[in-house]
Amino acid sequence: MPRTTAIATRELSKTYKDVKALDNVTLDLEPDRIYGLLGRNGAGKTTLMSILTGQNYADQGTAEIFGHAPFEHDPTLSRICFIRESQKYPDDFKVHQAFESAALFFENWDDDLAQELVEAFALPIKRRIKKLSRGQLSAVGVIIGMASRADITFFDEPYLGLDAVARQIFYDRLVEDFAEYPRTIVLSSHLIDEVANLLEHVIVIDKGQIVIDSDAEELRGTAVTVTGDTAKVQEFIGTAQVLHRDALGALASVTIKAKLDADQREQAKLMGLDLSPVSLQQLVVRSALSGSTAQRTEERTEARK
Amino acid sequence: MNRVIKVARMQLINKGTFIGIPLIILGASFLFTLAIWWLVRRNGGDGAMYGGGAQAPMWYFLALGIQSLTLTFPFSMAMSISRRTFYLGTVALFSVCALALSVFYYLMGLLEVATDGWGMGGQFFALQWIADNDWLVQILFYFVLMVLLFMIGFLAATIYMRWRTTGMVAFFICLGVLVLGIIALFTFTNFWDEFWSWALTWTAAGVTLWGGIVALLMAGGSYLTLRKATA
Repeated sequence: MPRTTAIATRELSKTYKDVKALDNVTLDLEPDRIYGLLGRNGAGKTTLMSILTGQNYADQGTAEIFGHAPFEHDPTLSRICFIRESQKYPDDFKVHQAFESAALFFENWDDDLAQELVEAFALPIKRRIKKLSRGQLSAVGVIIGMASRADITFFDEPYLGLDAVARQIFYDRLVEDFAEYPRTIVLSSHLIDEVANLLEHVIVIDKGQIVIDSDAEELRGTAVTVTGDTAKVQEFIGTAQVLHRDALGALASVTIKAKLDADQREQAKLMGLDLSPVSLQQLVVRSALSGSTAQRTEERTEARK
Repeated sequence: MNRVIKVARMQLINKGTFIGIPLIILGASFLFTLAIWWLVRRNGGDGAMYGGGAQAPMWYFLALGIQSLTLTFPFSMAMSISRRTFYLGTVALFSVCALALSVFYYLMGLLEVATDGWGMGGQFFALQWIADNDWLVQILFYFVLMVLLFMIGFLAATIYMRWRTTGMVAFFICLGVLVLGIIALFTFTNFWDEFWSWALTWTAAGVTLWGGIVALLMAGGSYLTLRKATA
């Protein structure tokens, strides 16, 4: 039996003046999974999340949360938590007052978890929010997102300004809490390698368009880097699609889009070639952005004619 | 409905904003007025003394209307509150506060009359023009005035939230043109004398009625504007 989708969008588009922030976005997100929403700055991540949480609205298309449009619909909104990266707080609010407020509105709010996280992040709860550092401000958003335990929680670049220790605390606690209280989590990020291990599903957005929407495990197996003698590498890869090529003297290191079977791996070994897996970050950078680079090269060639 | 009350509670997390500061402003302006009256009397001043300090907290409500929107609205979005719920909760909270303060003004007015103007023949709460009316008109007069000022700030802030600087500039240019147009019209038609003699016939009840209508119109306008505002 198919489970109800947590988030469903159909041909969602949004234009700001002359910028297409979202271009025909169609997505289905299942409940109780951790999604990565990846893309460059300005790719449309925040716009997409704003529309999904009713904070903004689309020009065209539909967005549904558990089968209902979220815009101005309190019962649906109450199941969502989205603290934006540039979240504004009332000027006179102290940190603990923001938490008190969140406790009012998020039914599953866990105050003990919030307290634990405050200690873990060493957050001064009696300080005014506008006096906090960038990292502390991010920590406030992270704590509200985690402790709200909303059915769908969005984290918008939650690591900004957090030091390495704090970031690790966030990732660890998120996985721990998710195991105990499964829910749909959408983690927006441009630091892909850091969050790669958390993600079960990857959505890559570029210039408002979805360029990758795939299971993380599946995605990892779709590319491989072949390193060795240039001629032999060329012989081995044949006509496979090349995502990236590095050359150093007689050596070449080529990333290709291919799923290798056991025979091919054996063959590579016999030819003296090294096979190495491609990290999610490289894969996203190479495949998502190669499209736009190729397009640009084409445009340049066109222009030269 | 429950979430509307929660919005009011959220606005009250910092109790100073809606309750503390207006009371401090009122208390301070009242004490200043008493001190001035005392000095006047000590130096042999006589006759009735008026103080306009009762309006001091009302100007704060103009700022409160702006502040409760620009600062709290983006946060309320993060709390997953619909615009409608935010609007209802905020306006309802302000109305309750304004009503309580209006009743307080009325009661202080009674006390003022009973104590012969705080023993000094002064008029701070019970200004003649207002105090001559019955209790309902007096309370409603203060209430409408407070809501009106709050709504001016609230409407301006919703226009800003929805259309940002462009909206603000367009709004104030239109307002300027409108006011200038009315002044020009009155000047060309020599209507000023008639206007002022008409204005002198205004009663507190009349001002309350028309002010109430304007406040309602602004409340409707700011609601419609807020419905599609973004944080």
